[in-house]
Amino acid sequence: MERLIEILEELQPDVDFNTVENLIDGRYLDSLTILSLVAEIEEEFDIEIPTVEIIPSNFNSAKSIWELIEKLKEQ
Amino acid sequence: MRNVVKALLFTVILFILIIISEVVLIPGLDIRKNGIFKQANYELLGEKKNTIDVIFLGDSLVYSSISPMEIWNNYGYTTFDCTEAAQVISDAYSYLKVAIENQHPKIIMMEANVMFRNPSKRKFKDKIAYILKQLVPIAKYHDNWKKYIGGFSKNNWINPDKGYKYITDIKSSKNKNYMHFSNKYEMIPEQNIHYIEKIIDLCKENNVKLVLVSMPSQKSWRYKKHNTASKIALENNLEFIDLNLINLNIDWKTDTKDNGSHLNYLGAKKVSNYIGKYLMNTNLVVDHRNDIRYESWYKALEKYEKVSFNK
Amino acid sequence: MSYFDPGFIFLVVPILLLIYNLVPKKFRPIILLVFSFGLFIFISKWLVVFLILSILTIYFVANYLDKLNKKRNELIKEEPDNKKAIKEKYKKYKKRILILGIIINVSFLFFFKYLNFFATNTNLLLDLFNIDFKFRIMSFLAPIGISFYTLEALSYILDVYYEKIEADKNILRVALYLSFFPQIMEGPISRYSDTAKDLYAGYKVTYNNFCFGYQRILYGFVKKIIIADRLNFLVNTVFDNYHTYSGATILVGVIGYTVMLYMEFSGTMDIVIGIGGFFGIKIKENFRQPFFAKNISEFWTRWHISLGQWFKDYIFYPVSLSKRMKKLTLKARKILGNRFGPLISGAIALFAVWSLNGLWHGAGYTFLFYGMYQFTLILLGNIFEPTINNTCKKLHINRQNIVYRVFQSVKMTCFVFIGELFFRAPTVKAGFGMLKRIFTDFNLHNTLKSNQLFTLGLDIKDYFIIIVTLIVIFIVGLLKEKNHNIRTEISKKNIIIRWMIYYMLILSIIIFGAYGPGYIPVDPIYADF
Repeated sequence: MERLIEILEELQPDVDFNTVENLIDGRYLDSLTILSLVAEIEEEFDIEIPTVEIIPSNFNSAKSIWELIEKLKEQ
Repeated sequence: MRNVVKALLFTVILFILIIISEVVLIPGLDIRKNGIFKQANYELLGEKKNTIDVIFLGDSLVYSSISPMEIWNNYGYTTFDCTEAAQVISDAYSYLKVAIENQHPKIIMMEANVMFRNPSKRKFKDKIAYILKQLVPIAKYHDNWKKYIGGFSKNNWINPDKGYKYITDIKSSKNKNYMHFSNKYEMIPEQNIHYIEKIIDLCKENNVKLVLVSMPSQKSWRYKKHNTASKIALENNLEFIDLNLINLNIDWKTDTKDNGSHLNYLGAKKVSNYIGKYLMNTNLVVDHRNDIRYESWYKALEKYEKVSFNK
Repeated sequence: MSYFDPGFIFLVVPILLLIYNLVPKKFRPIILLVFSFGLFIFISKWLVVFLILSILTIYFVANYLDKLNKKRNELIKEEPDNKKAIKEKYKKYKKRILILGIIINVSFLFFFKYLNFFATNTNLLLDLFNIDFKFRIMSFLAPIGISFYTLEALSYILDVYYEKIEADKNILRVALYLSFFPQIMEGPISRYSDTAKDLYAGYKVTYNNFCFGYQRILYGFVKKIIIADRLNFLVNTVFDNYHTYSGATILVGVIGYTVMLYMEFSGTMDIVIGIGGFFGIKIKENFRQPFFAKNISEFWTRWHISLGQWFKDYIFYPVSLSKRMKKLTLKARKILGNRFGPLISGAIALFAVWSLNGLWHGAGYTFLFYGMYQFTLILLGNIFEPTINNTCKKLHINRQNIVYRVFQSVKMTCFVFIGELFFRAPTVKAGFGMLKRIFTDFNLHNTLKSNQLFTLGLDIKDYFIIIVTLIVIFIVGLLKEKNHNIRTEISKKNIIIRWMIYYMLILSIIIFGAYGPGYIPVDPIYADF
């Protein structure tokens, strides 16, 4: 989780990722940033995020992103 | 149940508000006397009483072919287009009655095409549009709010069109002979004959000269119609002017707004001038251009020229 | 013909609502279906065949995909060790079926909307090489809304393919999803999971839904009839004869077009959402105060949202996250770093999105140019984002500051104007010609002196009405932006204030609307796309 926050802060320094819960709907992360994020997460956690999972509800908060990572790790 | 009452109340108040805006926005001198609906539906009622000498009855062919302001400018006669899109003859008769009640016209020129229109075959859409216009006259006059902005001058209300519809679009057609000679007669629908008689009688009673006239149109007029109209004119001792057979120098490449069906402003100027000359030759109408009582026509002309200059 | 005219909405729709409410719940969806098909046939006649073909293909494709999914899951249960191989094998099957479905639907769209464009251009090319062969140029009238319902059809089979939703066994529900009458002409492009269930539920039209629906519709008509229809003549005149007008007048024409497009399209969406509301269907918003956006990229998440979302979900992510692209990203990141590495694949995907987005609006170079223009702006914005960020920090500019926000919005709006200029221009060359005149021949002095702005069918009173109405719409937008739910707030007010608002809306449409003699209403702009 900490590592994830680090990645996020690197991409968007101005946001407090521990509290914000509308990263997508509030446009803190736009679609090109998402691409960077997905690339970093995939490398860092050695998983593959399928296109289907790229929906706002999975990316709206650091917590939900983390849950997605956990879920994909199990598979 | 409460909701039904509420909905009803809402509708009633809405109608009251619409009627109030109609009273405010519909032009005219005698809303109280004529009622809103009559006042709104007969544009002629916006004119001062007993000032119009010539009335043109008919459909869109009339309001796209005859511009009273051109006639005023060149001859000084006061004329008015009492028209309705796709007018049927019973409506022409009602309009004529209103016109004779409120004006003392010397001449009525009735467009002959109206005699052939079968009222029972009127398009559904036209019927609905006609009914709606009767019911909600404000639809036609809503733009009059502009007349309240920038001073309450009476001049704001002067109508520069006198029933004419100003159109400058050009959709060309070809200059061709569309009046092929024929011996046949176009049928007149049964129920129309009755109204033609009524119109002739009404004019006789009031000592008004009735003239039949056809407007230039490549699509609406045929030789068969010419024959029938001539026959009716002959039987009733009327004059019939067929503008489709008279050379008015109409250039169908530039003078039509819809490929030969209706004339545009360029064509209307030619027709209006011809009609003006005809009226002069009747010796029944007077040039009012030096008459102080017709001052408002000069103001109307100013406005009219401003519009025709701007567009 | 458009059915977004008051006659249809206030006379025909109530009759539909009455019939809908009177029949048993079970038959209500059928009423909607019959009505929708009736309208479609009324407008497009026999072309309804293509709508039916689309419905049939997606119905059978989706169900076949579903069958494959179930079979695969069973097999995996039986032999869990072979999971990966089975998955791969079935993925291949599924892909074949999916592609078949896509090809059929896209080919209809291509046939009606793009064949002529490609034929004309191929002919030009053949001409260039002196080859004496020509494709015949045929003109077809496309089925109404084909651009919209085709995207809906594709989203349905793709969603089933991705296993986001299950295929529907009820073909009538699929048919209603695709043909629902308010949406078919100008969208929004709904997803199956958003509307299909409610569409088929047959909810009763309640008094509240009835009132709410018509309120929303009235607001839409204010935008359409008072503003969009009033600007129609001005816009057409300026764009069709731009070389006779000064730069200042052209600028007014361009701004006028953008305003007209916004008012026409978002007004229609208000009407569509209002009609959906009658039947208890929550159609998603297609606009969210676009002119409050900070940059072009955000603008496109607020303007025609459903189209942008469609391209994002079905083109952008699938392309940029495909296996090949991921490899490319990995390489690029090593060379360009974490910030710019993923931009390469992003840019390629973005390019695909905006080429298609441009072409979706119509087969023509102006639309393609328009797409490329948006692509360039968004990409540049992304590349320079960090630089701007740093500069602002160094200069101690607070980016949340109101002055900075207004500056951003104005800048973005100017970019939008230029985009819409090319969007409406008859040719790309004419677009540049207009742009050039704006910058080199502005001539404000002469424009005002010669009263050029008042020769375009609008007098000063018309401009006044447009501006006042826009201010009202701006304030409503500002309140929405600040998260006020205006409808609920109005409904809490007492009855006198509430009714006064409604009466003002109705009367202002009747009195200040641009209809009747002297006005030509705008054709539904997006219905041609």
